[in-house]
Amino acid sequence: MKEQISPELFAHLVELAALELTDAESEYLRGELNSQLNAINELEAIPLDASIPPSLHGITFTSQVSAPLRSDVWQPYERSDAILNQAPQVSERYIVVPDIPHTTLE
Amino acid sequence: MTDYEAVIGLETHIQLNTLTKIFCACKADSWNAAPNTNICPVCSGLPGVLPVLNEKAVEKAMLLAAAMHAQIQSLSFFDRKNYFYPDLPKGYQISMYEAPLATGGYLDLPLPQNEARRVRIAKLHLEEDAGKTKNAGGKRLIDFNRCGVPLVEMVTSPDLRSAEEAAQYLTRLRQLLRWLGVSEADMEKGHLRCDANVSIRPRGAAYLNPKTEIKNVNSIDAVREAVQKEIERQAREMEAGHTIESWTLEWDEDSGKLKKMRSKETEADYRYFHEPDLLPLHISEEWKKSILTALPELPLERRQRFVTQYGLPEYDADILTAERSLSDYYEQTVKAYGGDPKKVSNWLMNDVLRMLNEKGMTADQLRLLPAHLAEIIRLIDEGVINNATGKSLLEKVQASGETPAAIVAREGLAKVSDDAAIRSICQEVIAENPAEVENYRNGKATLMGWFVGQVMRKMRGKADPNLARAILEELLAQ
Amino acid sequence: MELYAQSAYELTRLLHSRQVSALEILESVLKRIEAVDGRPGTLDPGEFTEEDRRKVHAFITLTAERARAQAQEVDRKLAAGEDPGLLAGVPFTVKDIFCVQGTPSTAGSRILANFVAPYTATPVARMEAAGGVMVGKVNLDEFTYGSSNESSAFQPCPRNPWNPDRVPGGSSGGSTASVAAREVPLSLGSDTAGSIRQPAAFCGVVGMKPTYGRVSRYGMIAFGSSLDCPGPIARDVRDAALMLQVIAGQDHHDSTAAALEVPQYVALLEGGVKGMRIGLSPDYFRIAIPDIQTGEYALQPLPEAFSAAVHRAAAALADMGAEIIENVPMPNTRYGIPAYFVISRVEAASNLHRFDGVKYGYRTSQPVQDLRSLYRKSRAEGFGLQPKLRILMGMYVSAAQYSEQYYRRALQVRSLIRRDFEQAFDPQGEYRLDALLTPTTPTTAFGFGEVYGDTVLMQYADQLTVPANHAGVPGISIPAGFASDGMPIGIQFLGADFTEEKILRIARAYEIATQSEEWRKACPQERQ
Repeated sequence: MKEQISPELFAHLVELAALELTDAESEYLRGELNSQLNAINELEAIPLDASIPPSLHGITFTSQVSAPLRSDVWQPYERSDAILNQAPQVSERYIVVPDIPHTTLE
Repeated sequence: MTDYEAVIGLETHIQLNTLTKIFCACKADSWNAAPNTNICPVCSGLPGVLPVLNEKAVEKAMLLAAAMHAQIQSLSFFDRKNYFYPDLPKGYQISMYEAPLATGGYLDLPLPQNEARRVRIAKLHLEEDAGKTKNAGGKRLIDFNRCGVPLVEMVTSPDLRSAEEAAQYLTRLRQLLRWLGVSEADMEKGHLRCDANVSIRPRGAAYLNPKTEIKNVNSIDAVREAVQKEIERQAREMEAGHTIESWTLEWDEDSGKLKKMRSKETEADYRYFHEPDLLPLHISEEWKKSILTALPELPLERRQRFVTQYGLPEYDADILTAERSLSDYYEQTVKAYGGDPKKVSNWLMNDVLRMLNEKGMTADQLRLLPAHLAEIIRLIDEGVINNATGKSLLEKVQASGETPAAIVAREGLAKVSDDAAIRSICQEVIAENPAEVENYRNGKATLMGWFVGQVMRKMRGKADPNLARAILEELLAQ
Repeated sequence: MELYAQSAYELTRLLHSRQVSALEILESVLKRIEAVDGRPGTLDPGEFTEEDRRKVHAFITLTAERARAQAQEVDRKLAAGEDPGLLAGVPFTVKDIFCVQGTPSTAGSRILANFVAPYTATPVARMEAAGGVMVGKVNLDEFTYGSSNESSAFQPCPRNPWNPDRVPGGSSGGSTASVAAREVPLSLGSDTAGSIRQPAAFCGVVGMKPTYGRVSRYGMIAFGSSLDCPGPIARDVRDAALMLQVIAGQDHHDSTAAALEVPQYVALLEGGVKGMRIGLSPDYFRIAIPDIQTGEYALQPLPEAFSAAVHRAAAALADMGAEIIENVPMPNTRYGIPAYFVISRVEAASNLHRFDGVKYGYRTSQPVQDLRSLYRKSRAEGFGLQPKLRILMGMYVSAAQYSEQYYRRALQVRSLIRRDFEQAFDPQGEYRLDALLTPTTPTTAFGFGEVYGDTVLMQYADQLTVPANHAGVPGISIPAGFASDGMPIGIQFLGADFTEEKILRIARAYEIATQSEEWRKACPQERQ
């Protein structure tokens, strides 16, 4: 079985995904990724010429089906507090997170 | 030292002045709102929400694209630009990537000596703004109020050649945005934001050196200053034999210094793909036509026309076209007046502009209408009132909204040109001032002005001063 | 018959004739849930007992108080002579992938376990506005990522009411289990690759995936945004039609919700099938199964019981005047899963970006120095394995250097799959079908632990349902008897865009034709 995703590439993906994994998780997930890629690689065998357009959706959104764009009308939302109440840490209505370190050099 | 030229491209983000945000019905403007009050499930990225495109945002972007001479595309797509940042609640920004709203375009920037710099537009698309974060003692505070404000991202090709040109470009862009009515374009309020890409090369060279990107410059003066400092820094580095690295720099307004933010090792992979929650954006010819009928004559075109059509000096034309309603006002006055356009220009530049500045108004907000101003100038031309009366009428019309003629009639401001009335006053003045008469007759001709003044005073300014002088000369010669 | 066991249609009839009140219906249903459901799924389930094994465990959150208020309002309206709506007094459950204001909306994930939605999903809001009574949020695979419900962070997960050692299917397993176990007559599910139809088949109930755009997705926590469809789950076709009637239609919160009139599904339901053209495709009677060792695919025929059920249904419909068109080619069916592996992962990885511990949901309790650590730890602790797997795959196949090879290609394959359907349904074409009749699944409900963990095999359970998601066309799965293992078999009707009324009509005709058959008398075992 072809192993497309090496441990190094896998580590890179984990970094991109903003995850951190235990060794056991990594081993399982990398194995599954490679199995799935074997399935996905079946796509490569399909003859596709450039005339076949990619479909963003299955159905075609003709002008008859498509909803009109939104009119520029203000509808105030009354429950902003309920949104803010979901935040793990809030200070004076600001959502609080740890700092983002960056080097400030001359 | 080598003679360097700067190569500058500007990346601007323009907040469109729609009433609501681009994908939800929250107000677009959160100025002075407390943090996280102008939000809803959509713009705060709650699970399960979907964007719905604001028609007005598209129309304003279309106007801007047309004004930049860009080609509006009949089919464009919104894409997801995926990255993690706490001011981006969905973890992706809805933007446009491979099929933007418009392609091409340029702005011809007037330079001194009637030259122009063609600044090409490399990118013009619609997207949503992110929220704001600020530092507070080792923590970041996040406010989503700004999330979802409609933005046009417009990036120039590296066509600007000096810090001054960069500043000029922004000045012209700001003028255009206000002219079109698509953005308030206030840099201090972040309506118009600018990052500058700066590199230098020996003058005449065709290649590009590595560039640095200056972020967070929020006034036109700051752009001029920051870019100038960066050009000088790069020249010093090159002279010292160093290479320029692709840094991201931050402009610190307070210290007037550039600071390095982080080195750009690799381009981030944003994994763009078409936003499945939005439909492809179709812009029909019909829609485009209906929007572009609202496209006015552009400021630089009008400026040129004022020079050729009205014979105005460039200086006048520039000032009169700085702002659209002022230039409209000017043209309407010229038309209503029918006389010398330069005379109208003088009135606007000297008196009307002062009035606008004092009142903090734009020309279209004045009660003193172009027809009123034309009438005042005409009344002076016809000798009905004198110049000083004309100037005082400006404020009176503005205050009352009455026509100048009505005010002149009611307040009896017309010049008295009745020979007999002036003659009798002149005789009075001569009789009351024997000493001055003596002196005048002995050759002190400069006293004539004093005599005229006395007559004018007695007649509370309504006398025709030329007529008064003629009568005085006649009487004193006897 | 007890109130809880009645159909939605019958309940509204009883209510309108004032034979029962909405509150009485509700109390009957709450008692039923109390009797058969067992403890709800939780993050910290402790020991799994023999008692647990025998219960349904459909629920994560029971919203009895909200339901009572809703039922009382229906009764008040009736008393005041006001129109209480099409679903007046009908209890229903909601897959916990939909946001409902003031209730936990968990997606079956630890990362949203403490999330209380401040707004309500459009289909739920429409059901409540029509007098429906939501009794709770039901379990699912974490973020809908699975076909068995085993991946939910909330355990015990739902069990198949026909056999507690079998899975209910997924991801709308809590929905189909709650309907099959006669806890409620209706449930709102979602279908991205078969997540309504597959568990409906496994649990012996009716499940419909409407046309993409027929029902608003607003408030449904997204998986594959170009594939996701909310849809009805019921015990018979009429109830499914009734529910679709309420939830379908344009929504100014969803740009992809179609701006089309909604037909009168219930009124059109019993028009019969005379003259309708119903197709059978050989491509739906064999499935491609990957060999884990070699990665090679073998085409295998479906088990005999499945093709037999489909052919029996075809014969019954032919007896009622339908024309059966055999050998309709659907050659791209087998590419549905590989294309789905790409498209759904790209969209899922992006859709899961927002879960970062910043503004809602789970945030790590470990001390962190910087923002990146907050993201990593919150996501690592908050997501289960299935979301992690989909994120990683999405990252891989949508990376700039691979997206042409994978993502664009998969979208082209979607066009090919779509083309199969267009040719089959083209009114001027060779086949001119009104519907395609297929098996819903290649197997009956499997046992716990049999497939779970093997994500490729699990995905292939959706092989016969996923093409409709790619193509956007509507599909309905209805019960069609039992296999030799005693588990239900489902058959599926697929139709052209926005022709739900046709496939509902065909499904209803089949239901009427078979209503006196012996297998219809079977009930899931009682577990009181």
